Amino acid sequence: MIYIGAEEIISPLGKSVEKNFSAILENRTGISVADRAGFNGDSVYISNFLDLSEKNKFENLIVAILDQVIIKIDERIVSSARTIVLLSSTKGDLDNNINDQFGKTILTLATRYYLANQPIVVSNACISGVLAINTAGNFIKAGLYDHAIVIGCDLISDFVLFGFQSLFAISSQPCMPFDASRNGITMGEGCGVVVVSNSEVVFNEKPLKLLPGTSANDANHISGPSRTGEGLYRSVKRTMEMNNLFSADIDFISAHGTGTIYNDEMESIAFDRLDLTHAPLNSLKGYFGHTLGAAGIIETAISMQMLRNQILIKSLGFEQTGTSKELNIIKENKPAELRMILKTASGFGGGNASLLIQKP
Amino acid sequence: MSFITSYCHITSDSCLVNGGEIATRDLLSNDSWLKQIYKSQEFVYPKFYKMDSLSQAGFIASELIKRAQPNLSAYKDEEIAMLFGNQYSSADSDIRFKKSYEEHGAPSPALFVYTLPNIVLGEIAILNKWFGENLFVVLPKFAPDFFVSYAKILMSKGSEAVLCGWLGIWDEQINVFLFLVEKQGNAGMEFNVGNLHKLAGLEVV
Repeated sequence: MIYIGAEEIISPLGKSVEKNFSAILENRTGISVADRAGFNGDSVYISNFLDLSEKNKFENLIVAILDQVIIKIDERIVSSARTIVLLSSTKGDLDNNINDQFGKTILTLATRYYLANQPIVVSNACISGVLAINTAGNFIKAGLYDHAIVIGCDLISDFVLFGFQSLFAISSQPCMPFDASRNGITMGEGCGVVVVSNSEVVFNEKPLKLLPGTSANDANHISGPSRTGEGLYRSVKRTMEMNNLFSADIDFISAHGTGTIYNDEMESIAFDRLDLTHAPLNSLKGYFGHTLGAAGIIETAISMQMLRNQILIKSLGFEQTGTSKELNIIKENKPAELRMILKTASGFGGGNASLLIQKP
Repeated sequence: MSFITSYCHITSDSCLVNGGEIATRDLLSNDSWLKQIYKSQEFVYPKFYKMDSLSQAGFIASELIKRAQPNLSAYKDEEIAMLFGNQYSSADSDIRFKKSYEEHGAPSPALFVYTLPNIVLGEIAILNKWFGENLFVVLPKFAPDFFVSYAKILMSKGSEAVLCGWLGIWDEQINVFLFLVEKQGNAGMEFNVGNLHKLAGLEVV
Protein backbone atom coordinates (compact mmCIF):
# COMPACT_ATOMS: atom_id res chain seq x y z
CA MET A 1 0.00 0.00 0.00
CA ILE A 2 1.25 3.47 -0.85
CA TYR A 3 0.10 6.48 1.10
CA ILE A 4 0.02 10.16 0.24
CA GLY A 5 -0.46 12.95 2.72
CA ALA A 6 1.03 15.94 4.54
CA GLU A 7 0.04 18.16 1.62
CA GLU A 8 1.10 21.79 1.87
CA ILE A 9 0.73 24.84 -0.38
CA ILE A 10 2.28 28.29 -0.43
CA SER A 11 0.60 30.41 -3.08
CA PRO A 12 -0.68 33.95 -3.57
CA LEU A 13 -3.89 32.67 -1.91
CA GLY A 14 -2.15 31.83 1.36
CA LYS A 15 0.89 30.40 3.06
CA SER A 16 -0.56 27.09 4.22
CA VAL A 17 -2.79 24.42 2.74
CA GLU A 18 -5.52 25.39 5.21
CA LYS A 19 -5.44 29.04 4.08
CA ASN A 20 -5.41 28.01 0.44
CA PHE A 21 -8.32 25.65 0.88
CA SER A 22 -10.41 28.16 2.82
CA ALA A 23 -9.77 30.78 0.10
CA ILE A 24 -10.90 28.27 -2.49
CA LEU A 25 -14.01 27.39 -0.47
CA GLU A 26 -14.85 31.09 -0.76
CA ASN A 27 -14.05 30.88 -4.49
CA ARG A 28 -11.40 33.57 -4.17
CA THR A 29 -8.68 33.84 -6.81
CA GLY A 30 -5.01 34.75 -6.61
CA ILE A 31 -5.23 36.36 -10.04
CA SER A 32 -5.03 40.13 -10.35
CA VAL A 33 -3.94 42.59 -12.98
CA ALA A 34 -0.23 43.44 -13.09
CA ASP A 35 0.31 46.84 -14.64
CA ARG A 36 2.88 46.93 -17.42
CA ALA A 37 4.24 43.50 -16.45
CA GLY A 38 4.06 42.10 -19.95
CA PHE A 39 6.35 42.56 -22.91
CA ASN A 40 6.19 46.09 -24.34
CA GLY A 41 4.55 47.24 -21.11
CA ASP A 42 1.27 45.41 -21.62
CA SER A 43 -0.83 44.90 -18.52
CA VAL A 44 -1.52 41.23 -17.90
CA TYR A 45 -3.47 39.12 -15.44
CA ILE A 46 -1.23 36.93 -13.30
CA SER A 47 -1.40 35.12 -9.96
CA ASN A 48 1.75 36.31 -8.23
CA PHE A 49 3.04 36.79 -4.70
CA LEU A 50 2.59 40.43 -3.77
CA ASP A 51 4.40 40.18 -0.44
CA LEU A 52 7.56 38.13 -1.00
CA SER A 53 11.07 39.44 -1.49
CA GLU A 54 12.44 38.64 -4.94
CA LYS A 55 15.79 37.75 -3.43
CA ASN A 56 16.30 33.98 -3.38
CA LYS A 57 12.55 33.58 -3.78
CA PHE A 58 12.70 30.09 -5.32
CA GLU A 59 14.94 28.64 -2.63
CA ASN A 60 13.15 30.48 0.20
CA LEU A 61 9.78 29.11 -0.88
CA ILE A 62 11.07 25.56 -0.96
CA VAL A 63 12.76 25.85 2.42
CA ALA A 64 9.60 27.42 3.88
CA ILE A 65 7.37 24.65 2.60
CA LEU A 66 9.75 21.91 3.77
CA ASP A 67 9.78 23.45 7.23
CA GLN A 68 5.98 23.35 7.16
CA VAL A 69 5.74 19.78 5.97
CA ILE A 70 8.25 18.46 8.50
CA ILE A 71 5.91 19.24 11.38
CA LYS A 72 3.21 17.16 9.69
CA ILE A 73 5.28 13.97 9.51
CA ASP A 74 7.74 11.94 11.55
CA GLU A 75 10.64 14.34 11.07
CA ARG A 76 13.22 11.55 11.20
CA ILE A 77 12.29 10.41 7.70
CA VAL A 78 13.62 13.62 6.12
CA SER A 79 17.28 12.69 6.49
CA SER A 80 16.72 8.94 6.30
CA ALA A 81 18.64 6.88 3.74
CA ARG A 82 15.23 5.44 2.79
CA THR A 83 13.89 8.84 1.66
CA ILE A 84 14.16 10.53 -1.72
CA VAL A 85 13.34 14.19 -2.40
CA LEU A 86 11.85 14.98 -5.80
CA LEU A 87 11.61 18.54 -7.06
CA SER A 88 9.15 19.28 -9.85
CA SER A 89 9.96 22.49 -11.71
CA THR A 90 10.32 23.84 -15.22
CA LYS A 91 12.41 26.96 -14.84
CA GLY A 92 13.70 26.69 -11.27
CA ASP A 93 15.83 29.57 -10.13
CA LEU A 94 16.25 30.91 -13.65
CA ASP A 95 16.34 34.57 -12.66
CA ASN A 96 19.29 33.98 -10.31
CA ASN A 97 21.28 31.59 -12.45
CA ILE A 98 20.15 30.75 -15.95
CA ASN A 99 23.19 28.47 -16.42
CA ASP A 100 22.33 26.24 -13.49
CA GLN A 101 18.69 26.60 -12.53
CA PHE A 102 18.52 23.97 -9.79
CA GLY A 103 22.05 23.35 -8.49
CA LYS A 104 22.18 25.89 -5.69
CA THR A 105 18.71 25.11 -4.35
CA ILE A 106 19.40 21.37 -4.37
CA LEU A 107 22.67 21.92 -2.52
CA THR A 108 20.90 24.07 0.08
CA LEU A 109 18.28 21.38 0.64
CA ALA A 110 20.85 18.61 0.86
CA THR A 111 22.93 20.43 3.48
CA ARG A 112 20.15 22.12 5.45
CA TYR A 113 18.09 18.94 5.87
CA TYR A 114 20.97 16.43 5.88
CA LEU A 115 19.46 14.57 2.94
CA ALA A 116 20.96 11.11 2.50
CA ASN A 117 20.16 10.82 -1.22
CA GLN A 118 20.76 13.14 -4.15
CA PRO A 119 17.43 14.89 -4.87
CA ILE A 120 16.00 14.37 -8.36
CA VAL A 121 14.61 17.25 -10.38
CA VAL A 122 11.70 16.23 -12.60
CA SER A 123 11.44 18.71 -15.47
CA ASN A 124 8.75 17.69 -17.95
CA ALA A 125 6.95 20.94 -18.65
CA CYS A 126 3.40 21.11 -17.31
CA ILE A 127 3.11 17.42 -16.41
CA SER A 128 6.15 17.58 -14.09
CA GLY A 129 4.12 17.60 -10.87
CA VAL A 130 1.88 14.62 -11.66
CA LEU A 131 4.87 12.77 -13.10
CA ALA A 132 6.96 13.48 -9.99
CA ILE A 133 4.25 12.03 -7.72
CA ASN A 134 4.01 8.97 -9.98
CA THR A 135 7.79 8.64 -9.95
CA ALA A 136 7.73 8.75 -6.15
CA GLY A 137 5.06 6.05 -6.06
CA ASN A 138 7.04 3.90 -8.50
CA PHE A 139 10.24 4.19 -6.45
CA ILE A 140 8.45 3.16 -3.28
CA LYS A 141 6.49 0.34 -4.88
CA ALA A 142 9.76 -1.07 -6.25
CA GLY A 143 11.26 -0.93 -2.76
CA LEU A 144 14.04 1.49 -3.67
CA TYR A 145 12.88 3.96 -1.03
CA ASP A 146 10.27 3.95 1.72
CA HIS A 147 9.39 7.64 1.61
CA ALA A 148 9.42 10.49 -0.90
CA ILE A 149 8.98 14.20 -0.36
CA VAL A 150 7.66 15.65 -3.60
CA ILE A 151 7.96 19.42 -3.97
CA GLY A 152 6.70 21.50 -6.87
CA CYS A 153 7.76 25.11 -7.40
CA ASP A 154 7.79 27.59 -10.27
CA LEU A 155 7.91 31.37 -10.38
CA ILE A 156 6.60 33.96 -12.79
CA SER A 157 9.44 35.67 -14.64
CA ASP A 158 9.73 37.91 -17.68
CA PHE A 159 11.13 34.80 -19.35
CA VAL A 160 8.00 32.67 -19.07
CA LEU A 161 5.54 35.53 -19.36
CA PHE A 162 7.13 36.98 -22.51
CA GLY A 163 7.48 33.47 -23.90
CA PHE A 164 3.81 32.64 -23.54
CA GLN A 165 2.96 36.11 -24.87
CA SER A 166 5.07 35.39 -27.94
CA LEU A 167 2.89 32.30 -28.52
CA PHE A 168 -0.27 34.44 -28.11
CA ALA A 169 -1.23 32.08 -25.31
CA ILE A 170 -1.91 34.60 -22.52
CA SER A 171 -5.55 35.25 -21.65
CA SER A 172 -6.86 38.81 -21.90
CA GLN A 173 -8.95 38.18 -18.76
CA PRO A 174 -8.42 35.88 -15.76
CA CYS A 175 -8.31 32.45 -17.42
CA MET A 176 -11.65 30.69 -18.01
CA PRO A 177 -10.91 26.97 -18.35
CA PHE A 178 -13.41 25.04 -20.51
CA ASP A 179 -15.60 28.14 -20.98
CA ALA A 180 -16.90 29.18 -24.40
CA SER A 181 -15.11 32.55 -24.22
CA ARG A 182 -11.74 31.28 -22.96
CA ASN A 183 -8.77 32.67 -24.81
CA GLY A 184 -5.63 31.56 -23.06
CA ILE A 185 -3.72 30.87 -19.88
CA THR A 186 -3.05 33.06 -16.88
CA MET A 187 0.43 32.58 -15.45
CA GLY A 188 0.73 31.70 -11.79
CA GLU A 189 3.46 31.04 -9.26
CA GLY A 190 3.50 28.91 -6.18
CA CYS A 191 4.90 26.00 -4.28
CA GLY A 192 3.33 22.74 -3.16
CA VAL A 193 4.42 19.54 -1.48
CA VAL A 194 3.08 16.06 -0.78
CA VAL A 195 4.69 13.16 1.06
CA VAL A 196 4.44 9.66 -0.38
CA SER A 197 5.27 6.69 1.82
CA ASN A 198 4.74 2.97 2.34
CA SER A 199 4.11 3.67 6.02
CA GLU A 200 0.86 5.07 7.36
CA VAL A 201 2.33 6.01 10.73
CA VAL A 202 4.82 8.62 9.49
CA PHE A 203 1.90 10.98 8.89
CA ASN A 204 0.41 12.97 11.77
CA GLU A 205 -2.92 13.24 9.99
CA LYS A 206 -4.35 10.09 8.39
CA PRO A 207 -3.05 9.86 4.82
CA LEU A 208 -4.88 8.94 1.64
CA LYS A 209 -3.98 6.13 -0.78
CA LEU A 210 -1.96 6.76 -3.93
CA LEU A 211 -2.63 4.31 -6.74
CA PRO A 212 -0.07 3.71 -9.51
CA GLY A 213 -0.27 6.21 -12.37
CA THR A 214 1.17 6.41 -15.87
CA SER A 215 2.29 8.86 -18.54
CA ALA A 216 1.95 8.78 -22.32
CA ASN A 217 3.28 10.96 -25.08
CA ASP A 218 0.91 12.42 -27.69
CA ALA A 219 3.48 11.85 -30.47
CA ASN A 220 1.80 14.76 -32.21
CA HIS A 221 3.37 18.24 -31.76
CA ILE A 222 5.91 19.79 -29.38
CA SER A 223 3.77 22.77 -28.43
CA GLY A 224 0.22 21.88 -29.47
CA PRO A 225 -2.10 19.26 -28.02
CA SER A 226 -3.28 16.29 -30.05
CA ARG A 227 -6.67 16.86 -31.69
CA THR A 228 -7.80 13.40 -30.65
CA GLY A 229 -6.48 13.61 -27.10
CA GLU A 230 -4.52 10.45 -27.82
CA GLY A 231 -1.81 10.79 -25.17
CA LEU A 232 -4.20 11.80 -22.40
CA TYR A 233 -6.60 9.05 -23.43
CA ARG A 234 -3.85 6.45 -23.34
CA SER A 235 -2.41 7.62 -20.05
CA VAL A 236 -5.77 7.60 -18.24
CA LYS A 237 -6.79 4.32 -19.85
CA ARG A 238 -3.57 2.65 -18.74
CA THR A 239 -3.83 4.09 -15.24
CA MET A 240 -7.40 2.81 -14.86
CA GLU A 241 -6.62 -0.59 -16.32
CA MET A 242 -3.59 -0.99 -14.10
CA ASN A 243 -5.85 -0.44 -11.09
CA ASN A 244 -8.79 -2.46 -12.45
CA LEU A 245 -11.06 0.56 -12.40
CA PHE A 246 -13.92 1.58 -14.66
CA SER A 247 -15.18 5.03 -15.52
CA ALA A 248 -18.05 4.65 -13.02
CA ASP A 249 -15.45 4.34 -10.23
CA ILE A 250 -14.18 7.91 -10.74
CA ASP A 251 -15.93 10.38 -8.44
CA PHE A 252 -14.09 13.49 -9.51
CA ILE A 253 -11.54 14.66 -12.09
CA SER A 254 -9.02 17.37 -11.33
CA ALA A 255 -8.32 18.26 -14.95
CA HIS A 256 -5.43 20.24 -16.38
CA GLY A 257 -7.73 22.86 -17.97
CA THR A 258 -5.31 25.63 -18.91
CA GLY A 259 -7.89 27.86 -20.56
CA THR A 260 -6.43 27.72 -24.07
CA ILE A 261 -8.82 26.88 -26.88
CA TYR A 262 -6.95 23.77 -28.00
CA ASN A 263 -5.90 22.27 -24.68
CA ASP A 264 -9.36 22.31 -23.14
CA GLU A 265 -10.93 21.01 -26.33
CA MET A 266 -8.37 18.18 -26.40
CA GLU A 267 -9.18 17.24 -22.81
CA SER A 268 -12.92 17.15 -23.52
CA ILE A 269 -12.30 14.77 -26.42
CA ALA A 270 -10.06 12.51 -24.34
CA PHE A 271 -12.55 12.37 -21.43
CA ASP A 272 -15.36 11.67 -23.86
CA ARG A 273 -13.38 8.80 -25.39
CA LEU A 274 -12.76 7.53 -21.87
CA ASP A 275 -16.49 7.61 -21.06
CA LEU A 276 -15.76 10.06 -18.24
CA THR A 277 -17.99 12.97 -19.21
CA HIS A 278 -20.32 12.14 -16.32
CA ALA A 279 -17.64 12.65 -13.67
CA PRO A 280 -17.68 16.01 -11.87
CA LEU A 281 -14.63 17.91 -13.09
CA ASN A 282 -12.83 21.15 -12.42
CA SER A 283 -9.72 23.04 -13.36
CA LEU A 284 -8.04 24.92 -10.52
CA LYS A 285 -6.23 27.32 -12.88
CA GLY A 286 -8.91 29.96 -12.19
CA TYR A 287 -7.66 30.10 -8.58
CA PHE A 288 -3.89 29.70 -8.98
CA GLY A 289 -3.25 30.50 -12.63
CA HIS A 290 -0.95 28.06 -14.38
CA THR A 291 1.91 27.36 -12.01
CA LEU A 292 3.73 25.10 -14.53
CA GLY A 293 5.93 22.64 -12.63
CA ALA A 294 4.10 23.35 -9.36
CA ALA A 295 0.62 22.90 -10.88
CA GLY A 296 0.43 19.12 -10.58
CA ILE A 297 1.45 19.22 -6.93
CA ILE A 298 -0.73 22.16 -5.89
CA GLU A 299 -3.76 20.77 -7.72
CA THR A 300 -3.22 17.30 -6.25
CA ALA A 301 -2.96 18.86 -2.78
CA ILE A 302 -6.28 20.69 -3.27
CA SER A 303 -7.88 17.52 -4.63
CA MET A 304 -6.70 15.73 -1.47
CA GLN A 305 -8.36 18.45 0.60
CA MET A 306 -11.55 17.97 -1.39
CA LEU A 307 -11.38 14.25 -0.63
CA ARG A 308 -10.74 14.87 3.05
CA ASN A 309 -13.55 17.44 3.27
CA GLN A 310 -15.93 15.58 0.93
CA ILE A 311 -16.71 18.62 -1.15
CA LEU A 312 -16.63 19.43 -4.84
CA ILE A 313 -15.11 22.79 -5.70
CA LYS A 314 -16.40 25.06 -8.41
CA SER A 315 -14.32 25.37 -11.59
CA LEU A 316 -13.70 29.10 -11.35
CA GLY A 317 -14.09 31.00 -14.62
CA PHE A 318 -16.44 28.50 -16.22
CA GLU A 319 -19.96 29.55 -17.20
CA GLN A 320 -20.87 28.16 -20.57
CA THR A 321 -19.82 24.97 -22.34
CA GLY A 322 -17.06 25.77 -24.77
CA THR A 323 -15.82 22.36 -25.82
CA SER A 324 -17.22 20.04 -28.49
CA LYS A 325 -17.78 17.33 -25.89
CA GLU A 326 -19.79 18.44 -22.89
CA LEU A 327 -18.15 17.75 -19.55
CA ASN A 328 -19.70 17.71 -16.09
CA ILE A 329 -17.97 20.88 -14.95
CA ILE A 330 -18.63 21.88 -11.36
CA LYS A 331 -20.52 25.18 -11.26
CA GLU A 332 -20.95 25.58 -7.49
CA ASN A 333 -19.19 24.14 -4.46
CA LYS A 334 -21.22 21.24 -3.14
CA PRO A 335 -20.81 18.43 -0.61
CA ALA A 336 -20.38 15.04 -2.24
CA GLU A 337 -19.37 11.52 -1.42
CA LEU A 338 -15.89 11.28 -2.86
CA ARG A 339 -13.84 8.15 -2.79
CA MET A 340 -11.70 8.03 -5.95
CA ILE A 341 -10.24 11.03 -7.69
CA LEU A 342 -8.36 11.25 -10.97
CA LYS A 343 -5.74 13.96 -11.52
CA THR A 344 -4.47 14.61 -15.03
CA ALA A 345 -1.94 16.88 -16.69
CA SER A 346 -0.88 17.59 -20.26
CA GLY A 347 1.90 19.76 -21.56
CA PHE A 348 4.52 20.88 -24.06
CA GLY A 349 6.65 18.12 -25.47
CA GLY A 350 3.47 16.05 -25.89
CA GLY A 351 3.46 14.82 -22.30
CA ASN A 352 0.35 13.54 -20.52
CA ALA A 353 0.17 12.01 -17.06
CA SER A 354 -2.49 10.77 -14.69
CA LEU A 355 -2.76 9.56 -11.12
CA LEU A 356 -5.45 8.30 -8.77
CA ILE A 357 -6.00 9.04 -5.11
CA GLN A 358 -8.38 7.04 -2.98
CA LYS A 359 -9.96 7.70 0.37
CA PRO A 360 -9.24 4.61 2.48
CA MET B 1 16.80 -9.72 -16.90
CA SER B 2 17.41 -6.89 -19.36
CA PHE B 3 20.19 -5.90 -21.73
CA ILE B 4 21.89 -2.88 -23.21
CA THR B 5 21.52 -3.72 -26.87
CA SER B 6 22.91 -0.62 -28.53
CA TYR B 7 24.42 2.73 -27.58
CA CYS B 8 25.68 5.95 -29.06
CA HIS B 9 28.14 8.58 -27.86
CA ILE B 10 28.43 12.08 -29.27
CA THR B 11 31.07 14.46 -27.95
CA SER B 12 32.28 17.77 -29.34
CA ASP B 13 34.41 16.01 -31.92
CA SER B 14 33.38 12.38 -32.09
CA CYS B 15 30.34 10.28 -32.88
CA LEU B 16 30.38 6.59 -32.01
CA VAL B 17 27.82 3.83 -32.34
CA ASN B 18 28.44 0.77 -30.19
CA GLY B 19 31.95 2.10 -29.65
CA GLY B 20 32.82 2.48 -33.34
CA GLU B 21 33.41 5.89 -34.87
CA ILE B 22 30.96 6.71 -37.65
CA ALA B 23 31.75 10.35 -38.45
CA THR B 24 34.68 12.71 -38.06
CA ARG B 25 34.37 16.39 -37.46
CA ASP B 26 35.58 18.83 -40.09
CA LEU B 27 36.83 21.78 -38.06
CA LEU B 28 36.88 24.00 -41.15
CA SER B 29 33.21 23.41 -41.98
CA ASN B 30 30.67 26.20 -41.50
CA ASP B 31 28.17 23.62 -40.30
CA SER B 32 27.80 22.80 -36.63
CA TRP B 33 29.11 19.40 -35.62
CA LEU B 34 25.58 18.05 -35.18
CA LYS B 35 24.66 19.27 -38.66
CA GLN B 36 27.79 17.61 -40.04
CA ILE B 37 26.70 14.28 -38.56
CA TYR B 38 23.18 14.76 -39.91
CA LYS B 39 24.51 15.34 -43.41
CA SER B 40 27.17 12.64 -43.35
CA GLN B 41 24.61 10.07 -42.23
CA GLU B 42 22.23 11.22 -44.97
CA PHE B 43 19.28 11.73 -42.67
CA VAL B 44 16.24 13.31 -44.28
CA TYR B 45 14.08 15.06 -41.69
CA PRO B 46 13.82 18.78 -42.49
CA LYS B 47 12.41 19.47 -39.03
CA PHE B 48 15.95 18.84 -37.76
CA TYR B 49 16.89 22.35 -38.88
CA LYS B 50 14.26 23.92 -36.62
CA MET B 51 15.39 22.04 -33.53
CA ASP B 52 17.71 23.30 -30.80
CA SER B 53 20.97 21.45 -30.14
CA LEU B 54 19.43 19.34 -27.39
CA SER B 55 16.74 17.99 -29.71
CA GLN B 56 19.17 17.67 -32.63
CA ALA B 57 21.49 15.55 -30.52
CA GLY B 58 18.61 13.41 -29.28
CA PHE B 59 17.33 13.00 -32.83
CA ILE B 60 20.72 11.93 -34.22
CA ALA B 61 21.61 9.55 -31.40
CA SER B 62 18.17 7.90 -31.38
CA GLU B 63 18.19 7.47 -35.16
CA LEU B 64 21.67 5.94 -35.03
CA ILE B 65 20.51 3.52 -32.34
CA LYS B 66 17.54 2.59 -34.52
CA ARG B 67 19.86 1.83 -37.42
CA ALA B 68 21.99 -0.34 -35.17
CA GLN B 69 18.96 -2.07 -33.71
CA PRO B 70 16.34 -2.25 -36.49
CA ASN B 71 14.14 -4.65 -34.52
CA LEU B 72 12.97 -1.62 -32.51
CA SER B 73 10.18 -1.20 -35.05
CA ALA B 74 8.73 -4.55 -33.96
CA TYR B 75 7.58 -3.10 -30.63
CA LYS B 76 4.05 -1.80 -30.18
CA ASP B 77 3.75 1.98 -30.05
CA GLU B 78 3.29 2.04 -26.26
CA GLU B 79 6.06 -0.40 -25.42
CA ILE B 80 9.07 1.89 -25.80
CA ALA B 81 9.60 4.27 -22.90
CA MET B 82 12.06 7.16 -22.84
CA LEU B 83 14.12 8.09 -19.80
CA PHE B 84 16.38 11.10 -20.35
CA GLY B 85 18.35 13.46 -18.19
CA ASN B 86 21.13 16.00 -18.07
CA GLN B 87 22.77 18.55 -15.80
CA TYR B 88 21.94 21.75 -17.68
CA SER B 89 18.20 21.41 -18.30
CA SER B 90 17.58 23.55 -21.41
CA ALA B 91 20.01 26.33 -20.38
CA ASP B 92 21.54 26.58 -23.85
CA SER B 93 18.18 27.43 -25.43
CA ASP B 94 17.13 29.47 -22.41
CA ILE B 95 20.06 31.83 -22.94
CA ARG B 96 19.20 32.19 -26.63
CA PHE B 97 15.55 32.92 -25.88
CA LYS B 98 16.46 35.50 -23.23
CA LYS B 99 18.68 37.26 -25.75
CA SER B 100 15.76 37.42 -28.20
CA TYR B 101 13.83 39.81 -25.99
CA GLU B 102 16.71 41.52 -24.21
CA GLU B 103 18.91 42.21 -27.21
CA HIS B 104 17.01 41.41 -30.39
CA GLY B 105 13.77 43.25 -29.92
CA ALA B 106 11.11 40.62 -29.29
CA PRO B 107 10.67 37.23 -27.61
CA SER B 108 11.04 34.52 -30.24
CA PRO B 109 8.29 31.87 -30.12
CA ALA B 110 10.46 29.50 -32.20
CA LEU B 111 13.14 29.64 -29.49
CA PHE B 112 10.69 29.66 -26.56
CA VAL B 113 9.21 26.27 -27.42
CA TYR B 114 12.65 24.71 -26.92
CA THR B 115 13.15 26.18 -23.43
CA LEU B 116 12.06 22.95 -21.75
CA PRO B 117 14.41 19.97 -21.55
CA ASN B 118 11.69 17.39 -22.25
CA ILE B 119 10.95 18.78 -25.73
CA VAL B 120 13.49 16.32 -27.13
CA LEU B 121 11.29 13.48 -25.85
CA GLY B 122 8.40 14.98 -27.79
CA GLU B 123 10.51 15.27 -30.95
CA ILE B 124 11.57 11.63 -30.80
CA ALA B 125 8.03 10.48 -29.93
CA ILE B 126 6.57 12.43 -32.86
CA LEU B 127 9.10 11.05 -35.33
CA ASN B 128 8.56 7.45 -34.25
CA LYS B 129 4.91 7.64 -33.19
CA TRP B 130 5.83 6.34 -29.76
CA PHE B 131 3.12 6.75 -27.12
CA GLY B 132 5.06 5.25 -24.21
CA GLU B 133 6.14 6.54 -20.81
CA ASN B 134 8.43 9.60 -20.70
CA LEU B 135 10.55 11.11 -17.95
CA PHE B 136 13.19 13.84 -18.04
CA VAL B 137 15.28 14.48 -14.94
CA VAL B 138 17.95 17.00 -14.06
CA LEU B 139 20.86 15.61 -12.04
CA PRO B 140 24.28 17.13 -11.27
CA LYS B 141 25.99 14.30 -13.16
CA PHE B 142 25.24 11.09 -15.00
CA ALA B 143 23.99 8.60 -12.42
CA PRO B 144 24.10 4.98 -13.67
CA ASP B 145 22.26 3.72 -10.59
CA PHE B 146 19.31 6.02 -11.25
CA PHE B 147 19.04 4.95 -14.89
CA VAL B 148 19.30 1.25 -14.02
CA SER B 149 16.75 1.37 -11.23
CA TYR B 150 14.21 3.58 -13.01
CA ALA B 151 14.45 1.86 -16.40
CA LYS B 152 13.84 -1.45 -14.62
CA ILE B 153 10.81 0.07 -12.88
CA LEU B 154 9.44 1.18 -16.28
CA MET B 155 9.98 -2.32 -17.64
CA SER B 156 8.12 -3.78 -14.68
CA LYS B 157 5.14 -1.55 -15.54
CA GLY B 158 4.60 -2.61 -19.14
CA SER B 159 7.45 -1.08 -21.15
CA GLU B 160 9.36 -3.68 -23.18
CA ALA B 161 12.25 -1.38 -24.06
CA VAL B 162 13.58 1.88 -22.65
CA LEU B 163 15.55 4.38 -24.67
CA CYS B 164 17.74 6.10 -22.09
CA GLY B 165 19.79 9.19 -22.62
CA TRP B 166 22.14 11.67 -21.05
CA LEU B 167 22.10 14.89 -23.05
CA GLY B 168 24.84 17.20 -21.83
CA ILE B 169 24.57 20.11 -24.23
CA TRP B 170 26.20 23.38 -23.33
CA ASP B 171 27.07 25.80 -26.09
CA GLU B 172 29.86 24.03 -28.03
CA GLN B 173 30.32 21.34 -25.42
CA ILE B 174 28.54 18.12 -26.22
CA ASN B 175 28.42 15.04 -24.01
CA VAL B 176 25.68 12.81 -25.25
CA PHE B 177 25.22 9.16 -24.37
CA LEU B 178 22.08 7.31 -25.47
CA PHE B 179 21.53 3.63 -24.86
CA LEU B 180 18.77 1.19 -25.55
CA VAL B 181 17.66 -1.27 -22.91
CA GLU B 182 15.54 -4.25 -23.89
CA LYS B 183 14.05 -7.15 -21.99
CA GLN B 184 15.15 -9.45 -24.79
CA GLY B 185 18.71 -8.86 -25.90
CA ASN B 186 20.56 -10.52 -28.77
CA ALA B 187 24.22 -10.34 -27.87
CA GLY B 188 23.56 -7.40 -25.61
CA MET B 189 25.36 -6.59 -22.39
CA GLU B 190 23.54 -7.26 -19.15
CA PHE B 191 21.91 -4.05 -17.93
CA ASN B 192 23.51 -3.27 -14.58
CA VAL B 193 25.30 -0.35 -12.95
CA GLY B 194 28.77 -1.76 -13.56
CA ASN B 195 28.26 -2.30 -17.28
CA LEU B 196 26.52 1.02 -17.72
CA HIS B 197 29.34 2.79 -15.92
CA LYS B 198 31.86 1.10 -18.20
CA LEU B 199 29.95 1.95 -21.38
CA ALA B 200 29.26 5.53 -20.42
CA GLY B 201 32.99 6.18 -20.27
CA LEU B 202 34.73 9.04 -18.56
CA GLU B 203 33.44 11.47 -21.11
CA VAL B 204 30.07 11.55 -19.44
CA VAL B 205 30.61 13.41 -16.20
